[in-house]
Amino acid sequence: MFNEMNVLMLGILGLFAVGLYALLAVRNLIKIVVALQILVKGAIMAFILAGKINGHMQTAQSVALTVIVADTMVAVIGLALAVQVKRRLGTLDVNELTSLRG
Amino acid sequence: MYYSNAILTLVVTPLLSAPLIYLIGRLFMRTGRAGAASNASQLASLLALAGTWKAYIDIVLQFNRSSATALRYITGSVPLQVDGLSILLAGLALTLGTLVVIYSRMYMRNEDGEEKYYAMLVAMTGAMIGLACAADLFNLWVWFEVMALTSYLLVAFYREQKASLEAGVKYLVQSAAGSSLVLLAIALVFMETGTLDLYRIGASAVGTPLMLAAGALFVAGFGVKAALVPFHTWLPDAHAQAPSGISAMLSGVVIEAGLVALLRAISALMAVTLSWGVLLMIFGALNMLVGNLIALKQTQVKRLLAFSSLSHVGYMVMGLGIALHAGTAAGATGGVFHLINHGLMKGLAFLAVGALLYALHIAKGSHNPLTISDLAGAAKRYPLATLALSIAVLGLGGLPPLAGFMSKWQILVAGVQANNRLIFYLVIFAALNSVLSLGYYAPIVNAVYRQKPSAAVLNGSSLPLSMQVPMVLLLLAVVVLGLWPGLVQWLTDPAGNAIMATFGGY
Repeated sequence: MFNEMNVLMLGILGLFAVGLYALLAVRNLIKIVVALQILVKGAIMAFILAGKINGHMQTAQSVALTVIVADTMVAVIGLALAVQVKRRLGTLDVNELTSLRG
Repeated sequence: MYYSNAILTLVVTPLLSAPLIYLIGRLFMRTGRAGAASNASQLASLLALAGTWKAYIDIVLQFNRSSATALRYITGSVPLQVDGLSILLAGLALTLGTLVVIYSRMYMRNEDGEEKYYAMLVAMTGAMIGLACAADLFNLWVWFEVMALTSYLLVAFYREQKASLEAGVKYLVQSAAGSSLVLLAIALVFMETGTLDLYRIGASAVGTPLMLAAGALFVAGFGVKAALVPFHTWLPDAHAQAPSGISAMLSGVVIEAGLVALLRAISALMAVTLSWGVLLMIFGALNMLVGNLIALKQTQVKRLLAFSSLSHVGYMVMGLGIALHAGTAAGATGGVFHLINHGLMKGLAFLAVGALLYALHIAKGSHNPLTISDLAGAAKRYPLATLALSIAVLGLGGLPPLAGFMSKWQILVAGVQANNRLIFYLVIFAALNSVLSLGYYAPIVNAVYRQKPSAAVLNGSSLPLSMQVPMVLLLLAVVVLGLWPGLVQWLTDPAGNAIMATFGGY
């Protein structure tokens, strides 16, 4: 029951559940960037589990490293946008971002 | 392996030169002369693109001479391939990228961070070329992510504008969530098959529940970038708020690149389910209807064009769906022909609207959106830009002697030839949608030619030559492709065949 495969599997499901819930429920822009990070961390764990199952651990690890670099850049751009939003609009609440409609 | 160098040059040149373009721009900014930085970075961009063009032409010549369906080249552990579809997408990206670099000369002048704009534009072009040539699921994702990163920055380029920031935030959150779903899907496929190579996945994929889940995640994740309908809500904001040259790139190639990525991913999972064709046709119908209906009530021209992109993605997806469902290569050929035509026509439309926006608003330092009523009577003062806009929107609406008609016609004929009642109804639905789309294209032409000039037009400034040259070239392309559609058969036939070959070789 509590072998490492199951723990990894639960971890992936848990991270995706938390990330998707946070994307829908959270209104603070910085917390949304954190939610995106949590989603990608779940996907990285899925790669590690996949490497463990099919025995191609080297490929899985190199993919995981590349993904960490790529999603850090997404976080950087997201936070840079958050800084600009705070400066121009004076708030981080995404519900205030409603000027474009229809 | 005589073509291997050319493939490597094609993929690597734009990406490596992007930081150089930025550095050159910064260095010339130190000299303090007005316009030195923008001239230098623009010239560097054009040089980088010229190098890429040379590699591209080499590859096309090699490809046409060899009888192979795909040229494959493995560097390190990164497999690259060039098939008909890659040549088509890379060619479209390079064409529009080059024209937009020329076009942006005056449009972006004196904007803060102009050198970053050119560097990002070249990097985005390079990322799309790489995406077209990727032969590995994970590399596909990496190129896709590079393309997305550069486009976030370009959409939010006017960072003092609240509307641009809002569009950038929406785009980043939706697109990043989509790409994390794609990543999970790749992990599932890797778990099941033990490989990331598209060919080997295609050989070993079977319809297990995990693979089905991966297919669904691919459709949702890449669907965000390709603007399939329930995932499209970022598109009108991002395309309307970006600088106009970038709008032309986003609408003309970036969403098509998302579509190609989706095709590549699900082509590896072809054996998983038989319903890919039906799924694509449903998305096609939804896209056409939703795009057209929302576009009908738009008053801002760029937003209207953004929504019309939705319906045109619908036509492409429908053509590909017909091809997969009925096994007719004509549908795939029509779909990719529409991909080229839409890239050229939508590129032309956004460049023309951007030129008018520049003349009426931006040259005066205002960032107001361009509405249809602003355009009233603009033909008197801006004959070239308004002619380009009219030809582009009429072509998009599918009037006969123009490019858009030819590709729509090819898709509809392929649908009728499939001899299937449901596809026949879909064809009628698509034809009616094409008529419906004239309901929002025609008022633009009417306003431009038949109304009294508005105050904004009378006070407008003149158009620089650097904007007129790209418009004239694209205008000629749209008219010539409508009169002689056979001219691009060397591009569309191999691309259609490549799609059919990857989907199990009918």
